[in-house]
Formats: sequence, structure tokens, C-alpha cells
Amino acid sequence: MKSNLNRIEKGASGDALFRIFGNAADKLIIAVLLGSICLFVLYPIICIFWQSFVGETGLTLGAYTDVLKGYRTSLWNSLFTGVLTAFFCTVLSVAAALVISSSRGWVKLLLMGVILITMVSPPFVSSLAYIQLYGRRGWITYRLLNISWDPYNCWGVIWMQSISFVPLNALFLSGILTKIDAASIQAARDLGAGPKHILLDVVLPLMRPGILVTLLLTFVRSIADFGTPTIIGGRFNTLASDIYMQLVGYSNPAKAAAMNVILLVPTLLAFWAYRVMLQKSDKLTSGKGKQDTVNLKLLRCGIVGWIALILSMLFFVMMVLQYVCIFSLGFMKVTKGSYSFSLQYLQQLLKYDTATIWRSVIYALIVSFVGTFFSMLFAYYTERRNVPGRRFFDFLVMMPYMIPGTCFGIGYILAFNKEPMKLTGTALIVMACMLFKQLPTTTKLCSAALTQVPRTLEWSARDLGGGRMAVLRDVILPSMRPAFLSCFAHNFSSSMTTAGAIIFLINPGKKLLVFQLFDKVYLGEYPMASLLATLIIVIVLAVEGLVWLISWKEGKRRVS
Amino acid sequence: MYLELSHLKKQFDGKDVVCDLSLTMEKGKLLCILGSSGCGKTTTLNMIGGFLTPDSGKILLDGQDLTRLPPEQRPVSTVFQSYGLFPHMTLLENVIYGLKFRGFSKADARKKGREYLDMVGLADRAGAFIHEISGGQQQRVALARALIVEPKLCLLDEPFCNLDAALRVKMREELKKLQRDLDMTMVFVTHDQEEAMILSDSMAIMEQGHLLQNDTPERIYRNPANDFVKRFLNLDDLIWTQDGKLMKIISHQM
Repeated sequence: MKSNLNRIEKGASGDALFRIFGNAADKLIIAVLLGSICLFVLYPIICIFWQSFVGETGLTLGAYTDVLKGYRTSLWNSLFTGVLTAFFCTVLSVAAALVISSSRGWVKLLLMGVILITMVSPPFVSSLAYIQLYGRRGWITYRLLNISWDPYNCWGVIWMQSISFVPLNALFLSGILTKIDAASIQAARDLGAGPKHILLDVVLPLMRPGILVTLLLTFVRSIADFGTPTIIGGRFNTLASDIYMQLVGYSNPAKAAAMNVILLVPTLLAFWAYRVMLQKSDKLTSGKGKQDTVNLKLLRCGIVGWIALILSMLFFVMMVLQYVCIFSLGFMKVTKGSYSFSLQYLQQLLKYDTATIWRSVIYALIVSFVGTFFSMLFAYYTERRNVPGRRFFDFLVMMPYMIPGTCFGIGYILAFNKEPMKLTGTALIVMACMLFKQLPTTTKLCSAALTQVPRTLEWSARDLGGGRMAVLRDVILPSMRPAFLSCFAHNFSSSMTTAGAIIFLINPGKKLLVFQLFDKVYLGEYPMASLLATLIIVIVLAVEGLVWLISWKEGKRRVS
Repeated sequence: MYLELSHLKKQFDGKDVVCDLSLTMEKGKLLCILGSSGCGKTTTLNMIGGFLTPDSGKILLDGQDLTRLPPEQRPVSTVFQSYGLFPHMTLLENVIYGLKFRGFSKADARKKGREYLDMVGLADRAGAFIHEISGGQQQRVALARALIVEPKLCLLDEPFCNLDAALRVKMREELKKLQRDLDMTMVFVTHDQEEAMILSDSMAIMEQGHLLQNDTPERIYRNPANDFVKRFLNLDDLIWTQDGKLMKIISHQM
């Protein structure tokens, strides 16, 4: 002990003091992390369940029987849409993934560019473009082909959902493809397999667990999506769009809660299967062979290769059409049925909505910084430290990923609408909801980065006299630099584009861009909506580009 | 005795990894803990370093009980097998990291850091990053980083196992010289019998969590505790002459 005291007396420098207070700070951080997860994840979820069982006279199953009786069609519609969307979307995703990962050069760049834009687009863009292109007065259906039809039906919903879920799935699947050991493809060739058999005997079987994961996740996303059926479903309602109507139209939280719990059942089942599948996928593609391009010529893969090419071309052409439509529509005005260039809507937007633009950006920035930091800390404490009940907390953090966005949002309304935690209508609740809804993904990103940090680095810091805080400050956070960028990007684009979770939490006086967009689409003001969508995409790309540039320069400065 | 381990025990999942290990060593000496993989030698080292807490037993260093102290409070520093160098810091920043917690001013720390880098022959690479230098150089940085805090005891966990054979021999000599010059007390873990025989003032041979023998290399050579020690050290192939030379018989049988 003597030498210790000496050391501290000799130099009461900041770092030495830092070490002494470090342990207390360490405990404090754990308490804050776990406490906020309980408050902002566990508590709202409990509230939903509780609310769904409590009627005017006490505990009852009334809400459930009501829902099962009154909304049987919607429930059926949800499942029907979910299954078909999952199927169509997965077929398209596999095709797109094959094309992306087997292409190279500028083609690949172009395809990835399209995917990137769709990733940062707000959710209603597809529906908006759908109406504009294929609607009653659609550019393609009416002006070009001169047909008049009713686009508002279940097939529109299924088709639009399938298209808009493809990019994320295609990225996931092409990620799996690049992890396939190049040696196994070479081995197949060596043994005499042509391109067709490589595709059928090696590539697709190795993708199989990934394909199943895609099916499940798409199903879950489809039944949670309220925007598409609300906008283009017409009289076709799903449970998710009914929940939206219940809350917005009739403000009946008990019923909405019960509907959410029912919606949660297939979701949780799908996720349970998803976990099993993902483990299998990881076993098949252990990630040893890291390759940018899978050596596969789709043109020579026979009929399957052709189908994949045609489907993915169809998809990419539709995507390009969609964005051309969105980007141009905001800068056009219609006079006597003909279009001309106009800045009228832009002027209108800048005149009335600058506050909304700034608010959206600031919220998103705050959520991105705080959320990224939070997920880094959480990843560290659950991965590397024996935090009590870490499995449980790990599960809790994943919950917002599994439960539908609207469900999570309703949980927040129920949890924070009474004293002493009356937060409804504040900016805090909106940002907290965004943050915790995005936490599962960012935490996973950070955990992945953390596996690259050897334990001995932590040990070294402590061995040389640094306490727990020094480990965090000097080892963990600097090592997670690469994860920072991806977390930040994810947080920012999600915060700018998510609608489901926070749609009920927004104070009408303090709107965000996504809601303006939703309103405009709902009201049929398509040019304005297109402009808003364009604006969101431009902002997200600009901010993420800036962050990327800064961290890239910083990286260069550090190396030189 | 300077370092005293008494009746150390450690279990993982109900399996004894270190059983009732007691050993002592004097100040300024180099002790090698030798054994095949899985014998508990690294576990023992990690208990001395504070990264593992023994289930029972005591660790005394210079009269101070270390058993329950966290690593940052122990006057002990470690050279890890994988070095554990910070990839986001320069060589100099790596070397002076431990001085932060010992009340050094930035300037003093940098001065001392340069001295130590000079000592391991890397003064001219002070501003380089870890990935820019070779394995042998990384090894030296790790050593300088551990020694700069003037620990009462320096631990080395198979520090040469990532180096090629020629470099290993060279680093061995450098380590021995540094240890003598600084009068440093060191505990060195290895599975390389030759390395242990050449480097150590005393050798502790472990097998399945038990300490078989702890003595000077020469005395172990003359009086191996049992057959296992004899076979493990290949004593039949070694000749220790009366004038202190150690020779190895390389038999050539086709």
C-alpha cells in the first residue's frame, strides 16, 4: 500500500486522480446504462401488456375478444400480405444480391449507388412514386399507356412493400455471398462444375439460411408497416394500418395495445426462427474468404442466371424510375395538363418549413451522437464485463428491433403520459424513442468492432496503472473509431426517415420532416411530398458524407 | 523472500488449473515458469498480474499482499504474448502510457520515454505506429512499456513465441542484459526448454497445475525431481560441463 500512496502524493495530476474516481464512475455508468434501458425499453413494453388487459372495470380480456372479432379481416390481410411480400421480396432480393456481388467496376458502383439512396430514403417514397407513376393519373399507366385503373388495392401494397424492402435484404445477402470461401468455388470448378452448377450446387445452398432469414425479416417488416396500406391500400386494411387509425382517429390506446400484442405473436415467432437460422448461416459462411466479387458469370448460369438477371434489372429500373420521378416532381408545376420547371414548391418549403428542417436535423444529430456513444458503452459492458444479468439486458436491448415501430411508440405513450414521468409532447421522448429503437443495430455494429480489440489491450492499460475508466477512454473508445462512422450513419439516416415509432409522440406544433412528408402524401399534395423526400435524401447524404470526410481526414492525419 | 506465492489455487468450471502452488524467488533474479501448454503457467502469471483472482492462497511481493489488488494498483507490469500494444498510439505514446498514472508531467514522460526507447534501440522510430514496425520491434516496445514504470516485478508471457528462431536468440540475450543492467526481477513463462535453461536464474517446472520442481537450471540438471522432468527437459541430450558450459547433443540418425 505504501508505494501506492507515495505515487499519488507525488503527482496529484489529473490522470492519477482520474484513476481513483474511475471506479466510482464505472459503477455510475453501469447504473445509468441499465437504468435507462429499463426505463425506456422494459417499462413501455410492460405498459403495453398491462394496458391491453385493463378495461374500465379491471382486468379483462375484453380488448382481445373485441379485436379478434372485429378485426379478423385485417388480421388475415396482415398475414396474407406478409407471406406474399416475404416471398416476392426474397426472390427479388436474391436476384439483386447475385447481380450486385457478381458485377464489378462501374456497374457495381451504379447498383450500390441506387441501393445507398434507397437506404437513406424515407419510407413513403415508394408509395408516393407508385401513385405518381402507376396511379389513376399516373405518368406510365395514364399518360403513356392511356389506361385507367384503380391502383388502391392489396396487390399494390404487396408489390410496393416487396420493392421497398429489397435494398436492405440485398445488402445482407450480398454480404453473405462475399463471405463464401472462394476456395469452395474454385474447388467446384476444379472438379468440373460449370457456372450453372456452381450457382445451383454451391452458391445457392450456402445462401439458404440467409434466404430464410430474409423471408422472416421481410414478413416481420411487412406486418409492421402501416404507411403503405394507409396510403395505397384504399379499402384494404391491415392490422398495422388499423392500429394507426385506432390511435389517430379514435384515440383508443387499450384496443391499440391489444392489437399490438396480437401483432407481436407472429413477430416473436419469426424472430425465434431467425436466431436459429442466423447461427446456421454463420456456420456455413465462417467469413474466412473475404472477397469483393464472387467469381460467377450469371449470363452463363443457364435459366436460373437469366431469371436472376431479368428480375434484378426489373427491380433496378423500377428504382431508377421511382427516384427520377421523385426528384423531378418537386420541381415541376402543372398548367393545363402539361408540366414545366418551377421552383414554386421549393420557395414555399423554405418559407414555411425551415424550422421543421432544422428541428429534424438537430434531433437526428443529437440522437446520432448520444446513440452512438451509448451503444459503444453498452456493447463494451455487455461483451467484456460481467455486468449482472447481462443476457437479460442484451435481450431487452434487442426488443425494439423485434417489435413493430408503432407498438414501441404506443408503449411510450402509455408509459410517459402521467406524472411523475409526463414526457409526452416533449423533444426528449421523441429522441429517446428514436435512440432506443435504433440501439439494437448500433449495438450489434459496436460488438462486432469490439471483437477486433484483443483483451490484452485492456489488460495492458490496467497493468500499467490505468483504472477501468482509463481502459474505456484510452483503449475501447479509440478502438471503436471505425464503428463510430457506421453507427452514426445508421442513427442519422434512421432518425431522419423513421416514422412508425414516433408518429404518435410528435407534438403537432413541433413536426419533423418525415411527418410533413406523410401528411402531404396522405393529403395528396404529391409535388410537395416529392420535394420533402428529395430534401431528406439530400440532407442525409450530405451529413453522412461530411462525417465520412471528417473521419477520413482524421484517419489520414493520425497515420501521417 | 521477495516474491512469495503460497498455496495458490484456481479452478475453471470445476476443473483444477492450478493446484496448491507455492514458490518463492529472490530480488533481481529471473524465474522461468516452464511447462507444456495447459499446465497452468499462464494462469499463474495472470494471478500475479491481477487479471485473475485465485480461489485461495496468497501472493506476497516485497512484504505487500497483492492477492486482492486490481491490476492497476499492483507494482507489477506485464509483457503480453501478443504484446497488447495500443494500435492507435505511436511508439512513444505507447511507452509512456503508464507514466500518466504516476504523476509525470508530459515533458518528463516524453523524456523518459525516449530514454527507454533508446535503451531498446528504437529511439529513431518514436513517432511510428505499431503496424509500421516489425514483430521484433513490437516486442521491444512492449518491453520498454512494461519497464518504464519501474515495476517491482516484470512478468513476461511467452514473449518470444511470435518471433523467428534467429531473432528469438538475439532477443533472449538482450532481455538478459536488460534484466541485469536494471537489476529487474522478472517472471518469464515459456514452453521452450532451451530458452528456460539459458535465461533463468531459477526454473519452476509445472505439469497439470502442479509445481514439480523449482531450482536453478544446473541443480535441476544434476537432480531432476522425477522422470517427467527428465524427459521434458531432454536431459539425456544435454551435457553440463564442470566449467559451466551447457551443450546439446544433436544425434544424426537416418
